[in-house]
Amino acid sequence: MVRGSRLDQVLVCSGLRKAFGELQAVDEVSFSIARGETYGLLGPNGAGKTTSISMVAGLLRPDAGEVTVLGRRLTPTAAAAKSAVGLVPQEVAIYPDLSARENLRFFGRLQGLDRRELDTRTDEVLALIGLTDRAGDRADTFSGGMKRRLNIGIGLLHRPELLILDEPTVGVDPQSRNAILESVEDLATDGLAVLYTTHYMEEAERLCDRIAIVDKGRIVAEGTRRELIATIGEHDLVRLEIDGDVQAAVEQLRGLSELGSVEVEDDHIVCLLAGAARRLPALLGAVAEVGAVTTGVEVREPDLEDVFLHLTGAALRD
Amino acid sequence: MVTAWTIARTEVTRLLRDRTNLFFVFVFPLLLVLVIGAQFGGGGQVQVGIVAPDGDTMAQELIATVDATDGVETVTVPDAVTLREDVARGRVSAGLVVPAGYEQSVVEVEPVEVSFIGRPDATGGSLRSVVAAAIAQQATPGRAALLVAEAEVDAELPALRAAAVERRGQAVGVDVVARTLGTDELSEEFAGLGQFDLGASTQLFLFTFLTSLSGGAALIQLRQLGIAHRMLASPTSMPAIVGGLVGGRLLVALVQAAYIIAATLLLFQVDWGAPSATIPVVVLFSVVSAAAGVVIGSVLRNDSQAAGVGIGVGLGFAALGGSMVPLELFPDALQVVSRFTPHAWANQAMAEIVRRDGGVVEVLPQLGALAAFAVVLTVVAVVSLQRSLSR
Ligand SMILES: Nc1ncnc2c1ncn2[C@@H]1O[C@H](COP(=O)(O)OP(=O)(O)O)[C@@H](O)[C@H]1O
Ligand SMILES: [Mg+2]
Repeated sequence: MVRGSRLDQVLVCSGLRKAFGELQAVDEVSFSIARGETYGLLGPNGAGKTTSISMVAGLLRPDAGEVTVLGRRLTPTAAAAKSAVGLVPQEVAIYPDLSARENLRFFGRLQGLDRRELDTRTDEVLALIGLTDRAGDRADTFSGGMKRRLNIGIGLLHRPELLILDEPTVGVDPQSRNAILESVEDLATDGLAVLYTTHYMEEAERLCDRIAIVDKGRIVAEGTRRELIATIGEHDLVRLEIDGDVQAAVEQLRGLSELGSVEVEDDHIVCLLAGAARRLPALLGAVAEVGAVTTGVEVREPDLEDVFLHLTGAALRD
Repeated sequence: MVTAWTIARTEVTRLLRDRTNLFFVFVFPLLLVLVIGAQFGGGGQVQVGIVAPDGDTMAQELIATVDATDGVETVTVPDAVTLREDVARGRVSAGLVVPAGYEQSVVEVEPVEVSFIGRPDATGGSLRSVVAAAIAQQATPGRAALLVAEAEVDAELPALRAAAVERRGQAVGVDVVARTLGTDELSEEFAGLGQFDLGASTQLFLFTFLTSLSGGAALIQLRQLGIAHRMLASPTSMPAIVGGLVGGRLLVALVQAAYIIAATLLLFQVDWGAPSATIPVVVLFSVVSAAAGVVIGSVLRNDSQAAGVGIGVGLGFAALGGSMVPLELFPDALQVVSRFTPHAWANQAMAEIVRRDGGVVEVLPQLGALAAFAVVLTVVAVVSLQRSLSR
């Protein structure tokens, strides 16, 4: 993890707000990303991730707040600041009827690359995303994974200082997904600042130096994985599978002291508590008191999924 | 500027890659020019070109008789040479040259020849009969008078009839000399298709407009695919992006229009009139079409919707604007309504240019109307596109 002074920050967002009619899609979002750092926005669908990065990339004008990239204010008309940003949209934003090379050259021109840069960078990026052999083929003949790679390649073409990836693995087979995650890891080691949004906890845990947990337009927690998990406290997670009145059991459990939280998740009861091994008999007793039978028990360390559940009372994935 | 050109050019590349597009943009219009031309022969009526002396009442009577025939219409042509060329090129289906002093010859029952020029096809043959019948009407009284004058005054009817039969072959009074143009005189093998002159321009407007409107779906696709966002995230300015996208649609329209002109010129030897008049009409119409397509692509949100609206509006405007049935055949009320379509102005302009050899000055009113359409629609297109991109 790299955390430097404000001067080392590639991206600084402060107080971003955006509403669509009644809906406050992004509400006071502030964060910053340093050189070589990968920063994750982790949240469920509709949390406001895409809206946030649309403002960071200069696609949307925020209602309030500001974005600076390398100390320069980024707005929809700020060409210099925008040149420092590479956006990989959530959709596969490539021309299906153009070849991989033509797609790269097209967006390279829009980035203002001159002819020579365009030639060398196109070849470099094709090699980087493993599409050199298919460079002349139309993008609509590519597999989902290849399209995703091209999508990322276009974002990298003009050597941005900040790469924004919006859920780049959605709808991708596991193998391609792994390849994408590996290439993102490599990018960060090359000193690129990466802003990565996802609703997959494992991706955030694996890739991101720091993670912001986003829900309903707000950052509800921010930090390293360890810091985030620590927000739950020195707790273990106990998962009870029961046969009987789940609601009654939950009520009963909530009556116990020292329980961090008690939630229902897929018919299971999930409790956070310190010293689980010692407290387990009390939990089982509480369940038995309402006439239910415990059919399974699992005790483990909490993960980001649990942090999200703890903070928002809802599951990350539906 | 460079980026706007990149964006615009890419739209043309994409058009040329799509096979269904290729058919509808390049093949289908020519097929329709062929079919419609064959059916209507450039207009609802068969046209007979006439060269006749001024102030000759007998000639006027003859023309009126021909003109009164169902489905036949006469048009005045300045001289016999032009007439021959017009017949050969298919601008008219046949021609009639009435010589000077026609009236006097008819009245004084002196031999005089009217020339008929036709093409070697069925229409030529039937027009010849129409003309011959009309002339016979004028010739008969003279022949009868001659017979009466030369025969014995108290001759019986059977004897008079026998005398008339005897003289049937002699050159007395008016006669028709028919001349059918040979294949060498018909300019090349497709010259018989010269009747496509007007069909070609009406189809050009129909298809350029239609393609532009359904092409609006391409803009929706750019937004749906996220390509529009990617463009906006680049340092390329909004005006350059909007300029490129609108320019791209215009380039597509111009490519199609130029192609239809070139292809019909080569294949059917269609007369497109004076380039200095035709080019402004076609370019302004293309601007109108492209802008209308951009408006549809900006206002609507999904591309099947855009395709539906595009085809509906595209065909509706074409029908109202005289690209399916000639404007001349419209009832008055409909002619007024048709002025709200760019097609009507463009079709009128081309009729002026091709049928009456009009130049740019003769079509200034139509050019003005098209320019007004172009300006208004382009402003609406730019504003709505910009709004749709920053949504
Ligand atoms: N252009 C828009 N107009 C109206 N509502 C929008 C628009 N874009 C996003 N939203 C809404 O804002 C909320 C956040 O959306 P988004 O930023 O796409 O979430 P995420 O990327 O985290 O899934 C959602 O409720 C979404 O429906
Ligand atoms: Mg999103």
